[in-house]
Amino acid sequence: MEADTGHSPDSTGVWPPVSLLELMAVMLKVGATGFGMGMVGVLQQEVVTRRSWMSQEELADGIALANLLPGPIAVDAAVFVGYKLRGWSGATLCLLALLLPAFTIMLGLTIAYLRYGQVPQLHGVFRGLNAAVVALVLSVAYRIGKSSLKSAAQATLALLALAAAALHANLVVLVVACGLLGALFLRPKPKTVTP
Amino acid sequence: MNLVRLVLVFAKIGAVVFGGGFVMIPFIQREVVQHYGWLTQQQFVDAIALGQITPGPILISATFIGYKVQGVTGAAVATLSVFLPSFLMTAVATGQMLRLRRDPRVAGFIRGVLPAVVAMLLMAAVTIARSTLWFDWRLLLLACAALILLVRFKVDAVYVVIGAGAAGFFLEH
Repeated sequence: MEADTGHSPDSTGVWPPVSLLELMAVMLKVGATGFGMGMVGVLQQEVVTRRSWMSQEELADGIALANLLPGPIAVDAAVFVGYKLRGWSGATLCLLALLLPAFTIMLGLTIAYLRYGQVPQLHGVFRGLNAAVVALVLSVAYRIGKSSLKSAAQATLALLALAAAALHANLVVLVVACGLLGALFLRPKPKTVTP
Repeated sequence: MNLVRLVLVFAKIGAVVFGGGFVMIPFIQREVVQHYGWLTQQQFVDAIALGQITPGPILISATFIGYKVQGVTGAAVATLSVFLPSFLMTAVATGQMLRLRRDPRVAGFIRGVLPAVVAMLLMAAVTIARSTLWFDWRLLLLACAALILLVRFKVDAVYVVIGAGAAGFFLEH
């Protein structure tokens, strides 16, 4: 089945199709060299700047879509690229290729950790890492909070959610309930929606 | 049996991690540490740190947890399960993109979810700090320094994690 790639032909009328092998090579590179959100930058560099597989605007659309969906933004954006270029097989390949480097390295680190993590010399290292993880979680809360708590209604929702989480509410129910409240009461005004 | 549980737990988490991989932290803490006891709080925090110094998404910490539960098979199963929901949604949504992006209900849903995400992350930070840093003023100072580097100076998270590990090593020696 041919997927609608959304590619517009250039002046000569033809876009060279992206081979699955090329797609895989690029995603392996993105997965091996990008850290966290940094992957979005590498993805953009490879797909738009270096290979012109799609325009900056098209990729930006994909990133915007990734923001609306669960999952890491870079992974969703990579799946978007794969689907746009080669349909379901491209999307699947992109996901697997993107994850393979991280999976392999993480597996190695896990095995090493479980074998040597109790070595007393490393105790201090892990204590230091604890501090970093607390800081990281707070920094992500800050970043998301700064961009999303823009109205009194959203701030109230955050406080209510905090109280619910502190009272051990089911977190999945909490997220879905807040989303439904948002869908009912926090819709953007039609004119502020970007086409 | 454990594999089935891994699939269910991680697919559920994968379906609700709006706002990026870090959002998994409160869910994993609740389900994997407190409910199933698949790993200790300390191992959980270390798994996140290892996920951060590994290239790729932070959600790859699922590999650690899966391995702990069921070896390499468990690692693969947990990793695929946690990415499956967003993979399916993204591929399907790519075809429907314009409609989705214009739908004010979708935008409203996300506007409602993100405050909850902020609240859950704050709770998770408090829980982790209470179990690992409490009453150790040097570690609390280290966490504050790391936070300032991340937020104020926008230092890359990888360097902050590596630096904090090194600082911890020297604090103990």
